Amino acid sequence: MSFNLEQLLPAARPWVENLVNVWPTPYVKPNFAIWEVGHILSLIALGGATILMNLRLIGVGLTQESPSEIYRNLRAVQTVGAVGIVLTGVLIGMANAERLYDSAAFIVKMLALIGGLILTYGVSRPTAAAEGSVSKPAKAWFALGMAFWLAAMAVFVTGGLIAPGMWHVITGAGLLVLFVMRGRVRIVYAGVLAALVLAQELATRVTDRDSINISFAVSITAWIVGTALVQFFRTDHGEEDGPLTKIIGCATILVWLTGAAAGRWIAFA
Amino acid sequence: MESFLTWLQHSLGKGPGDTAQSWSEALLESLNLWELLEGSHLLGLILFVGTILVVDLRLLGLIFRRTRVSVISDTILPLTVFGFAFVVITGAALVFAKPLLYYHSIWFRLKMILLTLAMLNILVFHSRIQKSQGGWDAESVPPSKVRAAAAISLVGWLSVIICGRFIAYDWFECGKPQSALINTVEACKTSERGAYTLEGKRL
Repeated sequence: MSFNLEQLLPAARPWVENLVNVWPTPYVKPNFAIWEVGHILSLIALGGATILMNLRLIGVGLTQESPSEIYRNLRAVQTVGAVGIVLTGVLIGMANAERLYDSAAFIVKMLALIGGLILTYGVSRPTAAAEGSVSKPAKAWFALGMAFWLAAMAVFVTGGLIAPGMWHVITGAGLLVLFVMRGRVRIVYAGVLAALVLAQELATRVTDRDSINISFAVSITAWIVGTALVQFFRTDHGEEDGPLTKIIGCATILVWLTGAAAGRWIAFA
Repeated sequence: MESFLTWLQHSLGKGPGDTAQSWSEALLESLNLWELLEGSHLLGLILFVGTILVVDLRLLGLIFRRTRVSVISDTILPLTVFGFAFVVITGAALVFAKPLLYYHSIWFRLKMILLTLAMLNILVFHSRIQKSQGGWDAESVPPSKVRAAAAISLVGWLSVIICGRFIAYDWFECGKPQSALINTVEACKTSERGAYTLEGKRL
């Protein structure tokens, strides 16, 4: 099963085909590579700021500074990145509209983009500004942002040829949790994760059945998410932020990772 | 070098039989692995350059002015190093899948030169400039030599990314009619596609 804009809006094809003639596309298309570089650079600015701001919400990274201080210093970089990806994204999207119209990865990217903007501007930034305290409006935005992110992942997983791209998200989550863990828990976590990956590798060599592969993907995801949740809900003395703040930090990093990964997979399938 | 890369692309790991593939060919034609490597390369780049950007902006005195430089660099650089290792490993695997194409690409050659210069800048920063860090660690705007190193770092890594992205475009690919300069820089004469003048004559 694959889901794309052509299925959703079949009547829009003539309009999509004509986008290549609409201003400013005729000026963008000959310099497509330049705009593409601009898109990547914006993603880097957004990514760097988002990773550091949200790692602090999780309780790691720049812990010598308060979340609000990190927010105050990185908000401009983050906004430059967010505006940059939207602006360059619209331009390269118009120049490449027909391909995006048929692409399931593009749907994933758009859902993750909306989720990312909601989680960043409605949840993560206000939470960082309030030193990790999650307000009621932020909780409401969190529910909405998570809905978009989960929808993005659902389309990614069921997207046929693009489904392997979900490994980027799973790997990112796995590494994020590894970074957050400390001491013996980290060793146990990494050991079990490595064993699951090895078992998957062996199992897929013995049998190439998709169901085996999917079972392992689900098991690995469950292990990563389960370990993170147990760790977040454990009462750690001296920690200022609650589990929801940490979950917000993780989700905000991973929603942008989902969007970036899906963006790359537009070119593949 | 050419014969080594030809062996790497076409012979290494190749089994018996006409349809057998080398490891390089198998990687390039794999169903998902090559795509996963490319995607991972981009995501690693976001971590690597995204964190360098924050450190460099601090060194330029543009952000975290009230925070010691050592606090920023000591906390963030482990992430940067991890990102760099990730980018190098995935990048090496991507080159392994198309060694000859990369070897004859002007953008790849330029990228490698810029990468070396950016690494040299890091070396100079750590071996010389950082020695006096105690004197400017808490300064909101570090001295000019520190800011210069940060500016060079930013420009260097941005240039590496630009060249890396341009590798995907075949504007100057060997086998196309192009100037003598490009043919020489890319060593097109020794490539599988050959070198052609702007008039279309094979050299």
